Amino acid sequence: MKKNGVKMIKINSKNVDVFYGKKQALFNINLDIEENQVTALIGPSGCGKSTFLRCLNRMNDVIDICRVKGQIIINDFDINDKSCDVVRLREKIGMVFQKPNPFPKTIYENISYGPTIHGMAQSKNEMDEIVENSLKKAALWEEVKDRLHEPGTGLSGGQQQRLCIARAISVKPEVILMDEPCSALDPIATAQIEELIDELKKDHTIIIVTHSMAQAARVSQNTGFFHLGELIEHGSTDKIFKNPENKRTQDYITGRFG
Amino acid sequence: MNKNKEKLLNSRYRAEKRFQFYGKSAIFLALLFLTIFIFKIFSTGYTAFQKTWLIVPVTFDAETMYLDENPSKEDLEDADYFDLALQTMFNLDKSASEKQQNDLKRMVSYFFEREIKRELLNDPSLIGKTKDVYLTASDDLDQVFKGNYPRDLPEDQRRVTDYQLKIFDQLVEQGRVESKFNLSFFTYPDSREAELAGIASSFMGSIFSILVCLVIAFPVAVLAAIYLEEFAPKNRFTDFIEVNINNLAAVPSIVFGLLGLGILLAVFHLPRSTPLVGGITLSLMTLPTIIIACRASLKAVPPSIREAALAMGASKMQTTMHHTVPLSMPGTLSGTIIGLAQALGETAPLILIGMVAFVNTIPGSPLDPAASLPVQIYIWAESAERGFVEKVSACIMVLLGFLIIMNLFAQIIRHKFEKKWS
Repeated sequence: MKKNGVKMIKINSKNVDVFYGKKQALFNINLDIEENQVTALIGPSGCGKSTFLRCLNRMNDVIDICRVKGQIIINDFDINDKSCDVVRLREKIGMVFQKPNPFPKTIYENISYGPTIHGMAQSKNEMDEIVENSLKKAALWEEVKDRLHEPGTGLSGGQQQRLCIARAISVKPEVILMDEPCSALDPIATAQIEELIDELKKDHTIIIVTHSMAQAARVSQNTGFFHLGELIEHGSTDKIFKNPENKRTQDYITGRFG
Repeated sequence: MNKNKEKLLNSRYRAEKRFQFYGKSAIFLALLFLTIFIFKIFSTGYTAFQKTWLIVPVTFDAETMYLDENPSKEDLEDADYFDLALQTMFNLDKSASEKQQNDLKRMVSYFFEREIKRELLNDPSLIGKTKDVYLTASDDLDQVFKGNYPRDLPEDQRRVTDYQLKIFDQLVEQGRVESKFNLSFFTYPDSREAELAGIASSFMGSIFSILVCLVIAFPVAVLAAIYLEEFAPKNRFTDFIEVNINNLAAVPSIVFGLLGLGILLAVFHLPRSTPLVGGITLSLMTLPTIIIACRASLKAVPPSIREAALAMGASKMQTTMHHTVPLSMPGTLSGTIIGLAQALGETAPLILIGMVAFVNTIPGSPLDPAASLPVQIYIWAESAERGFVEKVSACIMVLLGFLIIMNLFAQIIRHKFEKKWS
């Protein structure tokens, strides 16, 4: 979305380095993410794109040996600063994982968990509303409205992934991070999720890591290409796919390696 | 070339057949031993659930009891029943010599005057009348009646005299000997007399010990396991702790008994022979078992569930308490029950802290002296009387039943509450 013709930058990363123990996984990443756009991160396996994604909601904190350097600024605030509370951060920045991972609880409880721990609903009615809206936004409501109190793990793979998306948007995050959300799904479920991503970008800024060139081309407005821990090139998806500046980008996109 | 391949194929088939045969024989052997073991216990033990009674006519003569006319309840309570009881037995053979009278007296349990007293207290109107009263037979006659006693031994090698057998056979002929379900085996405490010995004291002792053990070991072990698995930093110190917990699980139980003896009894002066001390000692032994089970089931919770919760903005504590711990509970609980089942069968540490003492009262709380089922087995197995042989097996049956129920419970918990995740 443009305001007065100027693109709004939602996330601004400056000189981000990531180390796993002594091994450096990301080298000096400078990437700006535009608001209410879909940004795709592409690159061969092990290139650091997922690592970068996990920096954005500090999920790398979970890994003991992982250290992150540099600044990641969201809403004028450096999330790597000591004063940043990860719980508040992750409320604002949701995440959808590669494999659908619903809680082994009912569909309703899966959605209501986030709003409950963040105290977003004052009454049962309010909670019902949040659950319904989240499921509607995730295009799952029609399929599950009659069995909200059945286990979420009983759904099909594609439905489970949409449940996870509904769970992520239930707390109204500003940014949604998606780590290869379709890699475990069949083409039909993939198409449904892609449609959904397009819909969600109205309200959320989306960053998606994907292995599929075609998917990046279909869903994203911006693309960043990672290789061996470096951000080789980034820009609008059109430009990256049709007219890449870097040789390596061109080779990867045309399928010569990776 | 082709022939060679054929040969290889055949030898592959033969190897598999051989392996299957070994496996089947191993299972057969294991089952065989188990069957022999169970058969042996049942065949010696089942008679302990029957008790032999002599039905003897008692004449409640007020004069023999030194009672005045119209005695009050207290008078009946305080009356002397011993002469009446003796007279009752002597009446079985009026022409008995003094030695034979002594034999007659020893045909019933030493408890018999109390059985007569109870009869009268239940129905005071019996004074002056005669009634058939059930008296517990002595353990030797009990064994004779059950066919466990070799009657063809020479008299001087038997505890039952020829005279006693003669009178007993007369009673059998008159239908005055009866075998009934042995309720007292479950309701009486231990006794030096086999016919009166029961497992009430040791059963309650075991239950109290297990409860104390559960109350102490479960929360401590679960908290330790959760902290170690979810919160503790992974460094040398925590590695050291982990190794030592595993070592603790392998320490022989008698060492824990020495610890209980040396610290709980000698330093803290807790009451000796009580389920409290037994339970604490057993909990030390159960602690590592539960910690290991709990950690294993925490580890088995897929990391994707933790990530999902963290990514929703749950704190570490919320993630652990809302998701990881509930998902690990089935495994933890069944590990706990198996740990408790182990503790239930433990003998050595309890002997060291004094639960081997002869206890003829039923404990009402963990602070009363008590025995425990495995120790009871040990005590009875040491006794010389023939009547205790079947009691040992019967007590083993009760203990095994208890263990089977606990393990069944563990299985049910595991199956019922185990959740499937994608």
